[in-house]
Amino acid sequence: MTTLEASAKTLSLTKFMAGDFKSDLKPIWCPGCGDFGVVTAITRALANIGRAPHEIAFVSGIGCSSRIPGYTTAYGFNTVHGRSLPIAQGIKLANPELLVLVASGDGDGFSIGGGHVAHAVRRNIDITYIVMDNQIYGLTKGQLSPTSSRGRKTVTSSFGSIEDPVNPLLYVMGYGASYVAQGTPADMTGLAKIIEEGIRFPGFAFINVQSPCVTYGMEDQQLKAHKTNMQSLESIGHDPSDRAKATELAREYGTKLYTGVLYRNPNPPSTYGQGVIERHDALKKSAVPRHEILNRFKPSN
Amino acid sequence: MSEDLIIGIAGSGGDGVISAGESLLTAAALEGYHCVMTKSFGSQIRGGEASCRLRLATQPVLNPNGPLDVAVALNWDDFKKFGAELPVESATIVIYESNTGVAPDKLPLQGVKPAVVFSVPITAMAAEHAGTDKAKNIVIAGLLAGWFGIGRESMLAGIRKKFAKKGTTIVEGNVRAFQAGLDFTVANPLKEDRKLSAPQSGGQTKLLTDGNDMCAAAAIFAGCTFFGGYPITPSTEIMQFLDREIWKYGGTVLQAEDEIAGVGAVVGASFAGKKSMTATSGPGMSLKTEILGLASLAELPLVCVNVMRGGPSTGMPTKAEQSDLFQAAFSAHGDCLRPVLAPTSVADIFGVTVEAFNLAEYYQTPVIVLSDQEIAQRKETVDPIDTSKFQIIERRRPTGQELVNYTRFKITESGISPISHPGMVGGNYLCAGIEHNEQGRPTASGEMHARMNEKRFNKFNPLKNRRDLFTIEGDPEAPIGMVSWGSVAGVAQEALRLAQAEGLQVKLLVPRLLYPVAETVYQDFFASVQRGLFIEQSYQAQLYRLVRMYVDFPAVVKPFAKSGSNPILPSEVLDRLREMVVAIQSSQQQPEAVEN
Repeated sequence: MTTLEASAKTLSLTKFMAGDFKSDLKPIWCPGCGDFGVVTAITRALANIGRAPHEIAFVSGIGCSSRIPGYTTAYGFNTVHGRSLPIAQGIKLANPELLVLVASGDGDGFSIGGGHVAHAVRRNIDITYIVMDNQIYGLTKGQLSPTSSRGRKTVTSSFGSIEDPVNPLLYVMGYGASYVAQGTPADMTGLAKIIEEGIRFPGFAFINVQSPCVTYGMEDQQLKAHKTNMQSLESIGHDPSDRAKATELAREYGTKLYTGVLYRNPNPPSTYGQGVIERHDALKKSAVPRHEILNRFKPSN
Repeated sequence: MSEDLIIGIAGSGGDGVISAGESLLTAAALEGYHCVMTKSFGSQIRGGEASCRLRLATQPVLNPNGPLDVAVALNWDDFKKFGAELPVESATIVIYESNTGVAPDKLPLQGVKPAVVFSVPITAMAAEHAGTDKAKNIVIAGLLAGWFGIGRESMLAGIRKKFAKKGTTIVEGNVRAFQAGLDFTVANPLKEDRKLSAPQSGGQTKLLTDGNDMCAAAAIFAGCTFFGGYPITPSTEIMQFLDREIWKYGGTVLQAEDEIAGVGAVVGASFAGKKSMTATSGPGMSLKTEILGLASLAELPLVCVNVMRGGPSTGMPTKAEQSDLFQAAFSAHGDCLRPVLAPTSVADIFGVTVEAFNLAEYYQTPVIVLSDQEIAQRKETVDPIDTSKFQIIERRRPTGQELVNYTRFKITESGISPISHPGMVGGNYLCAGIEHNEQGRPTASGEMHARMNEKRFNKFNPLKNRRDLFTIEGDPEAPIGMVSWGSVAGVAQEALRLAQAEGLQVKLLVPRLLYPVAETVYQDFFASVQRGLFIEQSYQAQLYRLVRMYVDFPAVVKPFAKSGSNPILPSEVLDRLREMVVAIQSSQQQPEAVEN
C-alpha cells in the first residue's frame, strides 16, 4: 500500500489494519529476531489507535532496533546513536498534534543515550518510548551492552563482564515515570496491548521489550525460553497503580520476566505540552508583529 | 571639543563599573551619539574585576578599540588586570579613587605618565551625599557628564526613574551624588575643552542593544518558532531573549539537558516543519557536531549560532576569538558542506541571522552563524533598520502532484528537492542519517552515495555567486587589499579610513559568507593586489588558510593575526599598510625574485 493510499483511509473513515502501517522495505534483521515481533505489535497497536500514518512520527537512534521506523509507513526518522529522545521531543513540541513514537535498543537508550531518559521522563512530553532490550550489541556483532549481566562473556568482555548491568525498569521508575510496562514478542497480544495503552497514556510512556537476539544472544533468553519463563503481572494480581509494589517488582529485572503494566499513575500529572498550550494562550495577546520586534531596543533611561 | 571619546572604567565587581557605563551609554544614545560599550570580566561569578569601555562619537563607531581618552580606576589592582584591553597613554585623562592612596604622580602605569590626572574621593562622595558607597557609579556618571558634556539631563531622569520605587530619600540622595560629581568637575575643570561635540544625528532615535539580543530578535523576525539549547557563555542571552519572546508567537524554547539534546530537539522541530535554531559557543559546538552532520545528510534546515570565545576546550569563555572557523567549516565527518556566515557588528547580525534562516530553508541545510563574544555582548547604537527590505524565504514544500509517489530526495537540476513534514498527507518518508536513495530508503550503494554527495554539494553552487554577501570598500583597483571578517572587520574599516586620509590606495573585502569559499569573489579582489593582508583574531589566521585552500592568491598576501583577547588596533593595521606601500615602491624599482 502506498503512503498516500494509507493516508486516504483516514479521510474516508476506513478502519485501519496492521498492514496499513507496514512498509514494503525488507528488514535487515536475522531470521528469528525478536524485533520482527515488535514491529508487528506496534503496527497492531497503531491500527487500534486509528491515526493515519502521516500523523505519526516514528523516531529511532542506531542499532538493530532502530531500523524499525523504516519498516512502517509513518514519517520515520532514523537519527544518530543515542539521540532519538531529544529529537522526538523536538518533533512533539513543534507539532503537538502528532503521535510520536520512539524505538530504541538497550545500548541506544541506556548507554550512549542514557543521559536523555531521565529528562524525557521529568519533562513528561507525551511520547511513547519503546526499548528493545536484548542485552547485547547485535548490529556491531556481539559486544557487551549496558544490560548484559555480570560475568557475561562477549567479544569485548573476553574474561567475563566485571560490571553490573543497568536495570531499565528501576531506573525509569526512579526517574518518576507515570507509565512503565514490559513485554516480549513471545506474547504478541500482550505486547501490542501495552504499546497501545502506552500510546493512549497522556504523557511519557516507557515500554521495555525483552527482544531476544538470536545471533549473539544467549539461549536462555531466546523466544522459546521467554514463553516458558514469562509471567504476566496481571496473573500475579499486581495492581499497576501501586508504585511501591511496582518498584519492588522492577528490582527483579534480570531474574524474572514480568510482562504487562508495571506502573500506571492513576492521576497522571499534566504534560509539558499542556504547559505549552497554557503559556501560548496566556502570552499570544502580548505579541507585537514580528517586524516590530526591534522596537524592544529603543533606548530608555 | 571631541568628536570621538574612548572611556575605560575598571574596578571590583561591586563597584558599579558596568552600571556607570550603561547609564552613560543610554544617555549618549538618547542624545543621538553613536556608541559602543564592551564589558570585560574576570572569570569569577560575583566580585572579581570588572571593566567596561565606551566609545562615544559623532560619527558611526566602527569598533570599540583604541587607546583610552579617559581612564577611570576604582582601584589600580583591578584596572591593571585588563592590560591591553584598557591601554593608557600620555594623552589619556586619568580619574581614580583617591582612597587607593596612590599619589597622582606615582600611578602604577609602567612607562606612561599621563598629563592630566584627577584623584577623586569617589567612595567618600557617594557615602556623603547618597548615604551609601553603592552610589559610586552615580558619582562617576556625574564626573563624566560634567567633564565630557554627556547626557546630564537624561541621566538625572534615569536616576529618578531607576530609584523611584525606593522612595524619595533614596532618589534625592542619588541625585545629590550625581550633582556632587558634576560640582567636582566645575571646581576642577579640564584645561582643554574635551566635551563631546553635538551629535550629527541629534533627535534621530537609534536602537541600543547587543549582538545576542539582536540575533534573537532577527530569529523572531525570520519566523523562528523553535529554539533548543543549553546555557553557555557567551551565547546564553540568545536563549534568554527568545524565552521572553518566542512563546508569544506560538513558539517554544527548550532548555535541554545538554548541548547535544539542544540541537537534537532543533533537528526534530525542523523535521516537523518549523523554523528552528540553536545557539552555543565552542565546547557546545564541538558536542553538536554529530547532529549537524545528521541535518546535512537528512537535508533539514536549521540555524546554529556559535558565539566564539577563546579556545580550545574551556579556553577563555569571556573573551572573543575567531578561532572556530575551521571547526565551522570542517568539523562534521564525511564529505559535507555547511554554509558559514559571520556578522561584523551588532547591526549586521540582524541581516546575517535573517540570511542564515533564508539559506537554511532554501538549501535545506544547517547554517552556522559565527558571531563572537565581542559582537554578542557589546552594546551598540544601531540606526533604525527597515525590515521591509528583507525577504523571508520558506522551504520548498511539495505540490499535490509531487505528493503522488512522493520522492523526498529527488535529484533535481538545482539539487533541491521538495520537503514534506509529518502531518502532510502523502509526504511520508524515512528521514535518516544513513545514506539513502531518492525515496529515502537506506542504501549501501557507492554509486548512489556518489550521486547524493553530488546533489548535496551542487545545490550550493549558486551560493558562491552571492556577491551581496561581501562588501568591498575603497578603490577597486587599489594595489593593497585587506580582508577581514567578524568583529575585527570594524578595525580594518577604521584602518581603511585612516589610510585613505593619508592618500594610500587601499581596499577592503569583508565577507559575510565564509564558507563555501566564493573563489571568484576573492580572485577578482586580488586581481589588482600587489600586497595584501588578512586581519583576524586567531593564532592560525583561519580565514587566510581557508581561502588559500580554494584560491591561488599571490604569496605577498599575508595574515595579520593575533590570538583572542589581544585587541587589534586600527593604528597597527595602518602601520602595516604603510609598510606595504614602501614594499610596493621598492619592488617596482627592483623587481623581486619570484616566490615559490
